[in-house]
Amino acid sequence: MFGFHGRYWRFDLSTGKGEMRTLPTSVLRAYLGGVGLGSWLLHREAPPGVDAFAPEAPLVFAFSPLVGTPLTTSAKFAVVAKSPLTGLLTDALSSSQFAIAGKRLGVDAIVLVGRCAAPSVLVDGALEPARDWGRSAAETEAGLAGRGAVAAIGPAGERLVRFATVSHAGRHAGRGGLGAVMGAKQLKAIVVRGDTPTRLAEPERVRELARDLVSRSRGAATAKYREVGTVANLETFARVGALPVNNFSGGSAEGFGSLAVGTLRSERRHERASCAACTIGCEHRYGHGDEMGRVEYESLFALGPLCGVRDAAVVLEASRRCDEWGLDTVSMGGTAAFAMECGERGLLAGLPGFGDGEGLLDLIAAVGSRRGVGDLLAEGSRRAAAAVGGSAPSFANHVKGLELPGYEPRALQTMALGLAVGTRGADHNRSGAYELDFSDRVDRLRGDERAARLAIEPEDRAALIDSLILCKFLRGVFTDLETEASELLQAVTGFDVTAEELRGVARRVVHLRKSFNIREGWTPADDTLPERILSEPISQGPVAGARIDATRLAAMVQAYNRARGWTDDGVPPPETEGDLLLDA
Amino acid sequence: MAEVGAVVVCGGRSSRMGRPKALLPWRGRSLIEHVVEVLSGVVEDIVVVTSDDLMLPPLAARVLIDEEPEQGPLEALAVGLAAVQAPLAYATATDVPFLSRDLVRAVLDAGGAAAPVVDGFVQTLAAAYPTAEGALAARRLLASGRRRPLELLEALAYQPLEPAQLPGLRGARGLNTPAEFLEAVREDEPGATASLEFVGRPRALCGVDALRVPVGTLASVLARAPEPLALCEGEQVSRPYLVSLGGRDFVRDGRLPVGAGERVVVLDAAAGG
Repeated sequence: MFGFHGRYWRFDLSTGKGEMRTLPTSVLRAYLGGVGLGSWLLHREAPPGVDAFAPEAPLVFAFSPLVGTPLTTSAKFAVVAKSPLTGLLTDALSSSQFAIAGKRLGVDAIVLVGRCAAPSVLVDGALEPARDWGRSAAETEAGLAGRGAVAAIGPAGERLVRFATVSHAGRHAGRGGLGAVMGAKQLKAIVVRGDTPTRLAEPERVRELARDLVSRSRGAATAKYREVGTVANLETFARVGALPVNNFSGGSAEGFGSLAVGTLRSERRHERASCAACTIGCEHRYGHGDEMGRVEYESLFALGPLCGVRDAAVVLEASRRCDEWGLDTVSMGGTAAFAMECGERGLLAGLPGFGDGEGLLDLIAAVGSRRGVGDLLAEGSRRAAAAVGGSAPSFANHVKGLELPGYEPRALQTMALGLAVGTRGADHNRSGAYELDFSDRVDRLRGDERAARLAIEPEDRAALIDSLILCKFLRGVFTDLETEASELLQAVTGFDVTAEELRGVARRVVHLRKSFNIREGWTPADDTLPERILSEPISQGPVAGARIDATRLAAMVQAYNRARGWTDDGVPPPETEGDLLLDA
Repeated sequence: MAEVGAVVVCGGRSSRMGRPKALLPWRGRSLIEHVVEVLSGVVEDIVVVTSDDLMLPPLAARVLIDEEPEQGPLEALAVGLAAVQAPLAYATATDVPFLSRDLVRAVLDAGGAAAPVVDGFVQTLAAAYPTAEGALAARRLLASGRRRPLELLEALAYQPLEPAQLPGLRGARGLNTPAEFLEAVREDEPGATASLEFVGRPRALCGVDALRVPVGTLASVLARAPEPLALCEGEQVSRPYLVSLGGRDFVRDGRLPVGAGERVVVLDAAAGG
């Protein structure tokens, strides 16, 4: 078999025993790897209705056919589980050496089930006591240096904070609480290493394609990521009214200049880095005290403007502390912003107000340790709002329990649809519909049925890229993703795969996630936006007056569902279930 | 009850202009705001009839949504005239930057249905209409498949107004193309400029925050960007870049007009992600 190993390693943490299980070729071809294969394995392995923290709940690490090839940005892996935050499927990507080392075990995925009897690390197929329990993921990785590539959780994951991350080499499988799932299993880290290479069907052709892709990865399509990084989004979004401020309450986007990329560059040391096997190098680090800290737009937005914090030093420190605790910065920022508003409205006492940087740092520590009010906020904004009661749910900004990313839905209304229908909740990495809003193809301030139909295109493209897996920052170099991806896959796997077949893969992956969610209790009412977004217009800035109401959103959701071939409510017809290969 | 009112029809597609005419910049605000401001000095009751897809700024007028904009200006007149509480209303389009209060007064002073006739053409959207009778007649015409506002004036036995009778007649002149709009801008403010602004990577590349540049088509404005930025390919914005007018609309068509004081914001096309 080329590109794949045709099997996955299933390890039961309760018994300490693992076994290899075969993966049918039909499944590998149907789902490739990454989020596709990971979702299929989750669907297969998770008992229906299982609690995300139950021992029976699987935690999947999925590699891909391109991992281990010389194709740039291919060193990525997906982590998939039932989310403790949403109760639905969550899949998150991370990258670098763990993907390469994990696949060299001779497997296409690792499935962890069960629960360790005591805090443990999984090394070379055996459980050992976790000596670093209570310490950060980075410290754990350092402690296990030399034994393989490490994916670890921080203290937040140990304490079952519902938006804790799984970390590797400073990068996080961030959204949906995968770190808490790992923490529930009392597994501090998994360490992988192996010596089984990935066999290529046409090695010389792969090298030729890889050289071409490397060349293009250094061109104009990736220049932004290389030269300024995603941090540049902050000022861009502010200029076009798409930067959420003060818990999406429509505050002024002025005054965040200290967080603009130009200011960060001029006032701080700066360096750039890349993941393993990547020639883009999007990681921009800025001097912060004696350290260099990585920061991306999503962290900057969530810990800055969303909480009204303007001090760059505080935002960088907040981001560093989230990494240290192992917290998803978007959900942390979203939950902190919700808490700040609770404080300002007098619903909860002793909370910082918008703009209180020191208060934000205290909240992060409280959540990471589940201390005081942090114990409530560690449940995420949806559960916290329900517990607070009163008007609190009306300004808890989440979809399906996942806090909103830094894309103002009222100013980016195709993205609004993408956020509403996203299977893992409010998410910018699975929809990608903002690409349409940042174009002249749609009216971003007047979402309509046509735009909703168009939103399928970037969602499918993301599903394919995340299953191949390649970095999304590479997407702009492809003029025809499916055709070029089929050439890559032919050379790697030997499959006579076509562009049309890959379009089918993308649709299948989206369908499978939906199918899992339906099984786990999704209802059509979940495909919506927060009450605040649907009831209040944007009050100031360049798109003042922009609004999206429930009626318009419902029409868009219906158009999206129909274009997918689902019922108006968003349910795939039963006769299409066979395409998911759930009985393979 | 107000003695006279006004109906502003602004739901057209603006297809030749390439941008919604109501939102074109004029003297520091949008054209619709300017027109409403002019009218408010003459009439007490202003109704703006617009389409659902046009996001207007807050106006000192009542705004009605024309549910059937494809029916054209007669439908909008029917909607607007029915809503005006005054017995007589001045009806105007929104693309009339030189609209003057003198012209509005002169047309309304005719006391009933009246319209200027310029070079043999009846100016149906610079005309006075009796509101109740006009709304009823417009509905009858629409029901019989008629769509032309001139037929409404004829049904109302309108009084033709000769140019010599009217001051500020250029206030009836509509603008349909970028060239006509830019000519009006230059006539109104010789040497008018727009702001060309750079954000993120484009700013890092050229080292400039913003420039004042002469008004013109978008392509001519973008051509003023410092090196190494090459922002247009032919009449389209180059793919690596994204251009926003005023931070609202994203545009690629270099033929669009850029008006006085307008902000042209140049961004990286890879926004988001």
